[in-house]
Amino acid sequence: MEYLAHILVMVCLYGILATSFNLLIGFGGIFALAHATFYASGAYAAGILGTKLGIGFPLTLLAGVVVTAGLGLLVAFPAMRVGSHYLVVITLALQAITIDVLMNSKPLTGGPDGIAGIPPVSLFGTALTSPVTFLPLAAVMAALCCAVAWRLGASPFGRSLRAMRENEAAAQAVGKNLVRMKLVVFAMSAGLASVAGTLIAHYIAFVNPESFTIEETILILAMVILGGMGNLWGSLAGAAILVLLPEGLKFVHVPGDIADMVRQVIYGVVLIVILRLRPEGLFPETVFRTPTGAARSSVPANGPLSSAVERAGGTPGEVVVSATSLSKHFGGIQAVKDLTIDLKRGEIVGLIGPNGAGKTTAFNLLSGFLRPTGGTILYRGRDVTTLKPHEVVAAGLARSFQDLKLFTKLTVVENILVSLPAQPGDRPLDVYVRPGLVRRADRENVARALEIASFVGLLAKADETAANLSYAEEKLLVIARLLATGADVLLLDEPLSGLDTVTVERICGVIRDLARANKAVCIIEHNLEVIRGVCDEIVFIDEGRVLTKGPPDTLMRDRELAERYFG
Amino acid sequence: MDLLIQLTLNGLFNGAHFALLAMGFALIFGTTGVVHFAYGPVYAVGAYAIWALAALVGLPFWLAVLLGIAFTAALGVGCYLFIYRPFEISGSPPFVVLVASLGLFIVMKNLIGIVFGTGVKTVDSVAYDVHFVGNAFFTTVQLGQVAAALLVGCGIALFLRASRYGKAIRAMADNREMATVIGIDTTRLSILVFALGSAVSAVAGALVLLRDGLNPNMGFGAVFVAFVAVIVGGVGSLRGAVIAAFLLAFVQSLGMWQIPTEWQNTIVFVVLFGFLLARPSGIVRRA
Repeated sequence: MEYLAHILVMVCLYGILATSFNLLIGFGGIFALAHATFYASGAYAAGILGTKLGIGFPLTLLAGVVVTAGLGLLVAFPAMRVGSHYLVVITLALQAITIDVLMNSKPLTGGPDGIAGIPPVSLFGTALTSPVTFLPLAAVMAALCCAVAWRLGASPFGRSLRAMRENEAAAQAVGKNLVRMKLVVFAMSAGLASVAGTLIAHYIAFVNPESFTIEETILILAMVILGGMGNLWGSLAGAAILVLLPEGLKFVHVPGDIADMVRQVIYGVVLIVILRLRPEGLFPETVFRTPTGAARSSVPANGPLSSAVERAGGTPGEVVVSATSLSKHFGGIQAVKDLTIDLKRGEIVGLIGPNGAGKTTAFNLLSGFLRPTGGTILYRGRDVTTLKPHEVVAAGLARSFQDLKLFTKLTVVENILVSLPAQPGDRPLDVYVRPGLVRRADRENVARALEIASFVGLLAKADETAANLSYAEEKLLVIARLLATGADVLLLDEPLSGLDTVTVERICGVIRDLARANKAVCIIEHNLEVIRGVCDEIVFIDEGRVLTKGPPDTLMRDRELAERYFG
Repeated sequence: MDLLIQLTLNGLFNGAHFALLAMGFALIFGTTGVVHFAYGPVYAVGAYAIWALAALVGLPFWLAVLLGIAFTAALGVGCYLFIYRPFEISGSPPFVVLVASLGLFIVMKNLIGIVFGTGVKTVDSVAYDVHFVGNAFFTTVQLGQVAAALLVGCGIALFLRASRYGKAIRAMADNREMATVIGIDTTRLSILVFALGSAVSAVAGALVLLRDGLNPNMGFGAVFVAFVAVIVGGVGSLRGAVIAAFLLAFVQSLGMWQIPTEWQNTIVFVVLFGFLLARPSGIVRRA
């Protein structure tokens, strides 16, 4: 009985660790391999406070969470500057330092011997010293932590996290503040992990550095991968399986000093085998998809413009964006020099020019993805030159990418949903304290996303994963996502390249509709037929400069231009 | 003054050791892009193999080293063929390969403990001299580390510059897709760099066996230092990795002047962190 209870306590604790780790790597796509550090932080907080200051359980938990969440924020900063391999190295280094600190700060941590005699948890006058008495507490805490993690994962914020994981640039381009999101997910993940640390410290009354090595992080990682990245239930299952599996060793009489190493070998083998046979884990992330359900049947197919796009204010022809003498150089290369361009309400500007002329760089400058080395960008008189991409979107200027950058593992409707502006569910605090508001807003947003899907003709595919779309459908989804941002200045980077004539016509129609809705539109395009058919003005740039601009018909008669462009 | 000389010497010898490890790792990581965490345990297994051949079987040390190097190369190739390559074939994202290498890391590390036990292993059949500079001293083994780093470094540089395979490896490191397009057999080259890189680590392992002895945990520190050196040096640059390896060793060693020895990893981390913030592309930037 005691033995069984002990196993279940361990399942609860590892359940907390795996679930919290999953938030970070499965949802956020942030490969920070230092989870054992957060675990250790909670455990040592309880150990030090408990033995040195005589502080008891609920307070140690609180202190652990606060300190560890702060530690998570500290780790988040380098994680925002570097990606992929670098992040792995930095966090591994942190893992190594953790051990250094625990081993060497002897007066505080007890060094290699650790801290013994941590007082047990006392509830209702009884000390929870045995596994059987501790189990209810562990189960309640695990349920609580999972609920917190689940609430975040299933919220619009969780959806934005998954979008960020799929493509960071695209997430910024639809207005997500990645810095804030990463800070939040790091703090949450670390704080939750510390709960497991505090519990284990009180439970076994002892902590030492050996429990928090890189192997421990790999074990938790194995649980997450086994259960399925992005699926929080899966993490619980993964934790249960990997805690239970090595218990079988008890029956084959492995000597005590070797048993621990054999367990590690088993974990490693399980990890490799699951990656080979089922890399998405036992339980794929589908359960966290946003259901469209009843809302979908109420939306007519091929819906009208009016339901998908709000008419922009202001008088047609008014200048909304005015970029003056923009320049950008990378080292010695001058990608854009002295680019001046105005975008007006209700007008479509075509940006043309040979490859390498600086068209996409111009878009990157306008949308805040690159900071110009000179010049200014005004949006309705406001200087937006130095704003970050998500701030530019919030101001009202959005862009699409030539290489689409869809959120591949999200559904069509989710791709549109994440792009909708000012969602209460994107504010982590509201997710917890105002669930009603978040739920209502999201229901409305789902309906709105479906209307946009309907307008571009993707309603039938609303619940399809973006990865399963045809190329034409992908291009339509890019437009839908751009519309969803609600921006009144839209920059479209080659929205028509590589499409069949039917889809080209369809997208041209959408672009004209946007101008009719009083939006300012700018497109980069190579197909001159299309340009002639759609644009009100053409801006021809070459070598980073505006060579000439004017109405399409006039420009296309220009001999010099013809020579430059068509060789 | 004597202390300073001693610390400088230590930095030099440790730098040579780190440089060997970093070169092997850089060859593998730079060419194939595989974050080969198991590089650490492979190096450790190689060193244990040399120990077993010398101390248990009783072979002459030089023969044990030769066989050990061959064995380590084979083990490295095995890692590639049986663990990483299947993932490459199925087009897995890089992080999957990375996680697999972590799995391999703990499997191998703990197998060492299970097979050889956790005690320190040393070889006493090889005698070597101690040399003095004032009151500072060093051993012939440490000289051997510098000589080995020099020889291996020059050998690899020559190989990469002059031989057909070497040029192909550089092409693949530069742009794998392009290399495939012009008809370079990337699988064969991957096997080659895994063999070479692992063999280089075995050289470092043989010398460390004589200098400090072996323990099952030695792999983590090794792959950690190698990885950091490659990142600080600039991914894709062998020269950068070597410079960074010596830099790390000197900073670590001179740091001990003021800071207790136990904080070595922390010192490495500070160097890494400073570099990533100040110069993210590493010491040697690629064009």
